[in-house]
Amino acid sequence: MIHINDFTFTYRESTDPVVRDINLHIPAGAFVGITGAAGSGKSTLTYAMNGIIPHCYPGDFYGSVTVGGLDTCETALTDISAVVGSVCQDIDSQFVASIVDDEMLYGLENFGVPHDEIEARVAEALDDMGIGSLRDRPIDSLSGGQKQKVAIASILALHPKVLVLDEPTAELDPASSVGVFELLARYARTHGTTVVVVEQKIALLSHYADMLVIVDGGRIRFADTPANVLAHSDELLAIGVNCPRSTTLMNRLAADGIYDGAVCRNVEEACTALDALVPQGALAESRVVA
Amino acid sequence: MKDFLEYVPGNSLIHRLNPVVKLIGSILFAVACFCTSNLVFVCCMLVLALAMAASCGMLRQTTGLMKAVFVFSLLLAVIQVLFTPSGDLLLELPWGYIGTGSLLAALTTVIRLEAAAIPLFLTFYVTKVSDMTNAAVKVLHVPYKYAFTFSSTVHFIPVFLNDMSSIMEAQTARGVEFDQGGIFKKIGLMMPLCVPLLVSSVRKTNSAAIAAEVRGFNLRTRASGYKDYPIAGIDAAALALTLALLAASICLTVLL
Repeated sequence: MIHINDFTFTYRESTDPVVRDINLHIPAGAFVGITGAAGSGKSTLTYAMNGIIPHCYPGDFYGSVTVGGLDTCETALTDISAVVGSVCQDIDSQFVASIVDDEMLYGLENFGVPHDEIEARVAEALDDMGIGSLRDRPIDSLSGGQKQKVAIASILALHPKVLVLDEPTAELDPASSVGVFELLARYARTHGTTVVVVEQKIALLSHYADMLVIVDGGRIRFADTPANVLAHSDELLAIGVNCPRSTTLMNRLAADGIYDGAVCRNVEEACTALDALVPQGALAESRVVA
Repeated sequence: MKDFLEYVPGNSLIHRLNPVVKLIGSILFAVACFCTSNLVFVCCMLVLALAMAASCGMLRQTTGLMKAVFVFSLLLAVIQVLFTPSGDLLLELPWGYIGTGSLLAALTTVIRLEAAAIPLFLTFYVTKVSDMTNAAVKVLHVPYKYAFTFSSTVHFIPVFLNDMSSIMEAQTARGVEFDQGGIFKKIGLMMPLCVPLLVSSVRKTNSAAIAAEVRGFNLRTRASGYKDYPIAGIDAAALALTLALLAASICLTVLL
């Protein structure tokens, strides 16, 4: 669905490339998580996927980016947008209306969705995000988390083939963040949508994503299944990406030859692995002592 | 200032009027106020405007608006009193005099500006900006780009006011005394803040433009709008009333 070949990009006001030599192939229906340290080029990578680069941010563009068969350099941004739905990092700037209902209608009206479908699409997207009750509320009166849900819902209503989200849970509490990822994963499964999420919460990405992409200094350092990527926890830490502590712990045990099972992505997997590793009852006793 | 020009939900008669009728009606009302210098008529217009505000529960917002308009109109009134001598002599000035006519004209100016401003501002408070622009596109055939420019401008006014307020609060927390001294000192303290406000404003408008474009802004046509805005009987009656007020104002000017 998304093919990025030898992509290098330098913003016009900059001298050094922000991303360089990027090669990434994302199949249709995949759920891809992108993470990396601040300033590593994650957002630039999403701008390349949704056509904002080169159409809105000019600069030196090398290589090629195709999304759904459309070359982003040769296709108008509007045509790319019919395939790719984008949720920006700065949620407040994304809103074009003052009321939630109008914000939901904006894209649907523009893309000429038949009027008899619009009501169902708006209601479905709002209900999916659990914000049906906010429909008539002024956007200014919403909390940061609610605004993020509205921004995502307004894009989901468009039924895009590709969904690109830049830090969609930045202002959400942990429970709401899990809720958003649950929704995105379910949405991707039911609609066959390709989802690309830039996110700092690597634990969430590793749990929900099929592929984890680690960006470091404008280059892709790792692009593999979450388990394979998390196996490099020490290298990830060195480039500013914090793995879940349970993953780091189990990787250390593996490095010391104590554990030889699969990489643990979360506390539950680590507990299961430790239960199998430690003699029966010892772990439970140590928990009681702790 | 957080709710400046922001839609206040409601179900009053004025809320339910067609957005285009509200817009045209308020403009006609304002024109009617400016077409005559009859003090009694402009007083009646002010009472009517306040009645409209009361009918849709907007008296608090209207009072705030009236204070702001009063300051501006007072400046004009003072100039009018000092430089347009007419009527019986009240006070001799080196360049003329202040007369009873000057005072009446100044009073008329103040009341006229108050009366003309209220319906225009009420229109924004009782109409969603999106309804106003969508109706303008559908009913008046205004090109969508212009309508969107207008709605974006109105949308961003409270955003920028809030930004300015946040910057001022941040500076106050660092010891800048915005609440001390006169207006000139306050303006002097605010001037340096215009730069960060301008930078964030440009950044926000740029992001908003991109967000609009990636959601099909360029595909928009007159038929795209989901909502319809038919002119109902009550809309025609409201329009007829404002036209009658305009006609009365013109007649007063011509006949008296």
